[in-house]
Amino acid sequence: MNLDEELKLALRRKEPPPRFRDRVLAATKQRPRKIWRPLAAAALLTLVIGGTTARYVEQRREGERAKEQVLLALRITSQKLHDTREHIHELSK
Amino acid sequence: MRKTLFALLILAMTAPLHAQRLTIDIPGLADKAKEVVDITLDSQMLRLASKFLSAGDSDERAVKAIVSKLEGIYVRSYEFDSEHAYDPAVLDKVRAQLGPSWKKIVNVRGRQENSEIYFDMRAGSDQPVGLVVISAEPRELTIVNIVGPIDLDQLSHLEGEFGIPHMSKKGANDHE
Repeated sequence: MNLDEELKLALRRKEPPPRFRDRVLAATKQRPRKIWRPLAAAALLTLVIGGTTARYVEQRREGERAKEQVLLALRITSQKLHDTREHIHELSK
Repeated sequence: MRKTLFALLILAMTAPLHAQRLTIDIPGLADKAKEVVDITLDSQMLRLASKFLSAGDSDERAVKAIVSKLEGIYVRSYEFDSEHAYDPAVLDKVRAQLGPSWKKIVNVRGRQENSEIYFDMRAGSDQPVGLVVISAEPRELTIVNIVGPIDLDQLSHLEGEFGIPHMSKKGANDHE
């Protein structure tokens, strides 16, 4: 068999298998549903990342506030200890 | 029964190791005050604050070293528009909570200002495990309660930093 004959044989018209059209149409109808999957995954990912980021930002804000409060508390404590010491010095003069 | 006794024994043995948190809230006082400082930092908040104190900064590292051992810092400070806006007797409720382990280290009574400093000195501990400062002025009242081991050496390292005034540790405990 030469090449021409092989090509003719390979490219000859073939009838589609039974219910081929129905299967193609059914697959086409299902396709739009599959598009929602990556969209839903992307939305979920955005929510997770967004939630994590918001939690991190809130935790950071809370931590910074706690730090400021610690410094203020130590400042007030030391100030009062200092004032007391000064008071003692004044009284002992 | 035996288990309960054992649990009570363990509790009694470990109780002295835990510093005491006092109730320093005085109902109604904040409403009368012009300015209020209300700081409540339990161990969880102190751990959180610790994470945000830079280990690279020597001053913040010193604060971190102090804070890491503490179980709580509680400050109530009230500033009033007029003198004698509060009844000094309200402080009796704070003093009444101080058990036998609390030692009055400083008691200064002046015309305008009264200061009291108490340390919680537990048996077996070479450093105070609690501090109470009561500073009463005609227009200002401050109560501080620090819960946990207080290293005066570390505290003195904070002098001049973060607005903390210079103070010698001798000055805080050499008068009674």
